[in-house]
Amino acid sequence: MGKIRNENVGGLQICMENIIFYFELHQPFRLRPLRMQDQISPEQIFWEEKNQEIFKRISENAYIPATKSFMESGIHSTFSLSGTFIEQALKYHPETIDVIDDYVKSGLCELMSETYFHSLSSIWDEEEFVSQVDDQRKLIKDTFNYVPESFRNTELIYNNRIAEIAGNLGFKNIITEGTDDVIKDHNPNYRYLAPSGINLYMRNYSMSDNISFRFSNDKWSGYPLTAEKFIKWVTESPGDIMNLFMDYETFGEHQKKETGIFEFIKYLPKYMEENGLTSINVKEISKHHKAMGTVSIDKTISWADTGRDLSAWLGNSMQKDAFERLKSCNYNGNNKIWGYLQTSDLIYYMSMGNPEDFSVHQYFNPYRSPYLAFIYYMFAMDILCKK
Amino acid sequence: MKVAVIGWELPPAFSGGLGIHTYNVFSILGKIIPVDIYIPDMGYSFPHYPFNVRTVKIKSGISGNVYSHVTNFIDAVNDYNEKVVENFKPDGVALVHCHDWITFSAGIEIKKRYNIPLVVTFHSTEFDRSAYFNPQESIMKIEAQGATEADAVITVSNLTRDVVAQNYHINPDKITTVYNGVKASAYAQGQALNRERQVLYFGRVTSQKGPKFFMEMARKALEYEDNIRFVMAGTGDLLDDMKRYAEYYNMDDKFHFPGFVEFHKAIEYYKSSSVFVIPSVSEPFGITVLESMVSGTPVVMSRTTGVGEAINNALKTDFWDTDVMSSYVVSILNHGSLMDTLSVYGKYEGMSFTWEKSAMKTLEVYRSVWKI
Repeated sequence: MGKIRNENVGGLQICMENIIFYFELHQPFRLRPLRMQDQISPEQIFWEEKNQEIFKRISENAYIPATKSFMESGIHSTFSLSGTFIEQALKYHPETIDVIDDYVKSGLCELMSETYFHSLSSIWDEEEFVSQVDDQRKLIKDTFNYVPESFRNTELIYNNRIAEIAGNLGFKNIITEGTDDVIKDHNPNYRYLAPSGINLYMRNYSMSDNISFRFSNDKWSGYPLTAEKFIKWVTESPGDIMNLFMDYETFGEHQKKETGIFEFIKYLPKYMEENGLTSINVKEISKHHKAMGTVSIDKTISWADTGRDLSAWLGNSMQKDAFERLKSCNYNGNNKIWGYLQTSDLIYYMSMGNPEDFSVHQYFNPYRSPYLAFIYYMFAMDILCKK
Repeated sequence: MKVAVIGWELPPAFSGGLGIHTYNVFSILGKIIPVDIYIPDMGYSFPHYPFNVRTVKIKSGISGNVYSHVTNFIDAVNDYNEKVVENFKPDGVALVHCHDWITFSAGIEIKKRYNIPLVVTFHSTEFDRSAYFNPQESIMKIEAQGATEADAVITVSNLTRDVVAQNYHINPDKITTVYNGVKASAYAQGQALNRERQVLYFGRVTSQKGPKFFMEMARKALEYEDNIRFVMAGTGDLLDDMKRYAEYYNMDDKFHFPGFVEFHKAIEYYKSSSVFVIPSVSEPFGITVLESMVSGTPVVMSRTTGVGEAINNALKTDFWDTDVMSSYVVSILNHGSLMDTLSVYGKYEGMSFTWEKSAMKTLEVYRSVWKI
């Protein structure tokens, strides 16, 4: 893009050109605290008040102001919206959809596809997986009149087979985590291909976490993180593209307005321009950058926890128990309700985590206890499925 | 630099939380600084203690010399406090440390007479013991005096710290929480027993401990699961009422009331049960919670049990909410994965409560008084 690329494949690449922002926008339908004595219908098991309260709060703190900031700053980014996110936005805070729609219509924002329910279906039922992806694509078309070309799976859960299915479904691009195991041989700052041929982009987790986790940490050596400093780090990184993938709640919820996170966004374009950097969407990358080879990932990885695998969902016996119960459930009623129960967050809440992930789990757990998450889930299953 | 401790009980004589605490903490502190412990003469004791014991003979309010023959408790307490002051050996004593209201008046007098700083520990308050039902004015007055006169106050939980600060108008900065510990090795040794579908209550059967809520929980659990046994271990003025409750609801065949249970039998009950329930209305700490955890037995506890504020791996509910309590109990019984996880993580967490930590924290309080 205006610069001559350094084609020296073996040497250090000093011409960083593009920043790729990808954001996850997802909210689960949390279960209400259930008791054995509750005589309620499947429709009533969800924690309506809590779900509404959380959505409204985050929408006002993050989704809306962040989207306006990125749009006003002319920054390209790629959103993945789960079906449950869109449902909650329409139900609890429709303005959120309008603001995102404006950003999409401006041409700056690409919409990706994922499973409707942000589920773990990719690891246990391909048919269910495909049908949930179709449902999400349909909802994106209906809501934004947009047809996604790129795919990301729940929490970047990924392996060769998932990439192959995504390719078969017509997607051109897929993204995942740049785990330590993968990046020791493959610098995540390049375009790659999965064995099945789909474009593969890997998250640069340390640069992403500099914003999402460390931005306001005054014990961190990089504190305070200014747009100028961050862009300098980007330009000093080897490679073509900087893949900054994170939860969208980073902007205004995890990192509150008071931390200066919105000023950070505001000043990015100035320093990007000074350094010849531009932001582009995921679907644009392959037009500008050559693939640096094929990366094969057999073992299932994800961006969750320090393990970067499935342990955030299937790490302890309660989670395995709950997952088995889900798989064997013979519920024949409302498909939506069945889908909501598949949302990965519900099983994530049961994680005991490693000690180093404990505070992250506590933060996201509406019950503050993995045990209660398990108990409520199993009572919900009792209501839904025959024993 | 000696510490004079005014206590009330020591093992092997009747051992509530106070006696267990006194013995364990001062066994450790006694190795660091000289300790004199004053206690009433109970007629029997261990041959040796790792600290200096000064027994005091009580004459009033008792017949014979043993506690079980206390005829007038207030008289006995007053007599004890006067005798402690009379027999007090001030040589080298740099701090006097009182345990519960039954020792406070002696401590206040000794502080005045010898100009020695005073530390008081609340193992419980009158509010706890009365379960907030008709607390006795005279006792509350002594508790307030003790806390006011003391140079530093120790409570066994933040829950109790707040009760003392609010009801007796004490600056919270003067109060330090020192958690109790547990001797995990005593519970970890011996054979692992097969856990039955058995739910355990272990404690005095008095209104403070909420036995009625345990019965209600049992009745509700049995509505959903027939195959459960319940053990209510302990004695107290409500025991007969509880037996009648079980009969009235036709669940006496599901219940076992073994009465007073000695230490080794208690360990057996912990290890053979799948859930330990403590529905206390007002429990400043709750050492049994730790005993159960280090035995690997999952705990369902009331939110008004102090130790809960420092524990993650147990299930907590309001003491009166027996719907939730029964839901938790049945969930643990029906899901091995939940039971195993609570068991393993609970054991690990319970073992982090050691008497060494309690002793060192107590020493920090002394140092704050001595300003060293």
